[in-house]
Amino acid sequence: MSLVDDPRGALADLTRPEAWVLGVSAAFALFLFVSLLTGALGPSYFLFLVGLAGMYALLSFGLNAQWGFTGLINFSVAAFFGIGAYGSALMTASSSPIAGGFNPLVGLAVALVVAFVLALLIGIPTLRLRADYLAIASLGLAEVVRLIVLNERWLTNGSGGVRGIPGFFQGWPVLSTFPEAMPGLRLEVIPGSPVLLETAFWQASLNVLLVLMFAGAVYFVLHRAHQSPWGRVLRTIRSDEDLARALGKNTYSFKMQSFILGSLIMALAGVFYTHLNLYVGPGDLDPITTFYAWVAVILGGSGSNRGALFGGIVIVTIREGTRFLNDAAALPIDPAPLRLLLIGVVIVAVMRYRPQGVLPPQRELIWPSAVDGGGTPDTPESGVREQKGGGGDE
Amino acid sequence: MTVLGYLANGLVYSSIIVLGSIGLSLVYSIADFANFAHGDTMTIGAYSAFVTLSAISAVGGLGGTVLGLPYGFFPALVVGIAVAAVVAIGTEKLIYEPLDVDSIGLLITSIGIAFIYRAAVQIRFGSDVTRFDIPALRPIEALVPYGVRVTLHDVAIVGSAAVLVVGLHVLLQYTDLGRKMRAMADNPDLARVSGIRTKRVKLWTWVIGAGLAGAGGVFLGLFNQLSPRMGFNLLLVIFAAVILGGIGSVYGAMAGGLLIGMITQLTPVFSNVIEALPIWPGWLATLLENLISIEYANAIAFVIMVVVLLVRPNGIAGEGAT
Repeated sequence: MSLVDDPRGALADLTRPEAWVLGVSAAFALFLFVSLLTGALGPSYFLFLVGLAGMYALLSFGLNAQWGFTGLINFSVAAFFGIGAYGSALMTASSSPIAGGFNPLVGLAVALVVAFVLALLIGIPTLRLRADYLAIASLGLAEVVRLIVLNERWLTNGSGGVRGIPGFFQGWPVLSTFPEAMPGLRLEVIPGSPVLLETAFWQASLNVLLVLMFAGAVYFVLHRAHQSPWGRVLRTIRSDEDLARALGKNTYSFKMQSFILGSLIMALAGVFYTHLNLYVGPGDLDPITTFYAWVAVILGGSGSNRGALFGGIVIVTIREGTRFLNDAAALPIDPAPLRLLLIGVVIVAVMRYRPQGVLPPQRELIWPSAVDGGGTPDTPESGVREQKGGGGDE
Repeated sequence: MTVLGYLANGLVYSSIIVLGSIGLSLVYSIADFANFAHGDTMTIGAYSAFVTLSAISAVGGLGGTVLGLPYGFFPALVVGIAVAAVVAIGTEKLIYEPLDVDSIGLLITSIGIAFIYRAAVQIRFGSDVTRFDIPALRPIEALVPYGVRVTLHDVAIVGSAAVLVVGLHVLLQYTDLGRKMRAMADNPDLARVSGIRTKRVKLWTWVIGAGLAGAGGVFLGLFNQLSPRMGFNLLLVIFAAVILGGIGSVYGAMAGGLLIGMITQLTPVFSNVIEALPIWPGWLATLLENLISIEYANAIAFVIMVVVLLVRPNGIAGEGAT
């Protein structure tokens, strides 16, 4: 029932919220396209936004692997994001207070290793805790990480942050010179407002390519993991940890695996951010980053990867939309509190009117072959039903 | 400063933490969720008092001063407490009560509420730091020879906090409402079948908890300064205090608040002690000297919090010692 084979059937299969999301997304994409053509939105900036949305989607994927799959309330997203960003920035930047100047691939590897160690350090003490204690403890430890990054100037350059970071494809055979090599294009769709495609545009499109690769790989891994027996154990832990124990599962070990998986994905988002933004500072470890990821996940639907993708796009719209409103409409309100207000309102509204999120996991929990002939199955609420439906993979 | 001086500072800071942690602990045990909006309730209290004080000063003030505070400060304090309580009740009625989610859902909702509070303050007052319209005082001369540098304002903070804490103790132990609250904290279902109107008790809990938070916010503004992030920055320290004391235990929260406040303010003393101690090997000594410094005062509190959660999840006061 893919969109290619049977577009009409696939459309008819959509649930109401899915149809809504599809409609709104299409309208939004059209709006962006028109702004691009008329020159209201610079193409390089647009690609930067796409990269940012991909980054938030990655963060949300990571959190989804922890909260959506296993029910771990991790409030230290910002710490892993920041460690990933700092790890690669410190290894690659020319102004790095330590070594620096390495290939970005080395930075990627170092960032992932450091994030792995940090996940163990945070996970070992906190994963045995009750859910709400885990929330508080992980937020506290994230603050500890932030304070260390802020104060250990010899390592991180303190509040000054790290500059002079190269693009991710620096030192690669063809890609490192690709942006300069491409000719500057001049498209004139609407007379009088030409759209220029220059070096910055090609640079940004490389970044988008990178984030698409990262996000695609992560999505594939998570999708497989979610449907695997391993993923079913995680879902059992989420709905009833005692039951999982009674079935002979070492829940602590499973929680740790899911925590590490999620943390590595968050660090990957950090690595990408480093090469997108080309500057990393202690402000990037602010708890607000954690809550951005949380909003994306609960808005999209806990446990749902495409929901996380949708949530990531909404977050970027809120983040950059407030800035745009401030520039364009000259609102008397500073964008920072407005953004905070919107985030707060979104959290409360979702919890009030749709606690399961906009796109809760439905058919992505079960193999397509398990659904007989078309028609939308009821939302599987309990683990039992998911297991009956998804039993074909063993 | 001498150890005595740091202790005195610690006492002042602790009073503020205690006011915050009692409210958080009460709400935690009776409304049954970790309220992440508690810190921002303090901010609201502080800014309400700020507005009131400015209004009173604008009409010429109320004359004399007590403990270096103009008379106008006290109505401002009351307004701060009242506004915090009213906002908390409004939030409970409008947001929390109609929600159909578990305690984790409430926790996440409270983060949204915290953002809304902070955004409201920031939109109205901007993100800059402000101060109460009260002249700063010099430290009390008589105490300076002992190395204690506290102002009359600090004395007022400790005194008022003590009055509020004693008042709460009397309320909990000797009034009907207090007995109902303790019953509800202990076992909400049992309390309900015994004929306690649990909804009403919950509302009173919000009034008391948020009121104390409002007072704490006003004192925090007097002790440091006001900024939209003041409450959120203190929130984790308050959580540390509540957890150290044992969630659900009001007296534990008081003890935890006192301890955490003292520990964060005494960090310089600890670092002096570490420097004086002959620690071997050398790298360990350097590491400890680096980590136990004033920049890491809060981090130390958070680490203590995690250790307490692991070793003694019921806190120092144990379960159900309300």
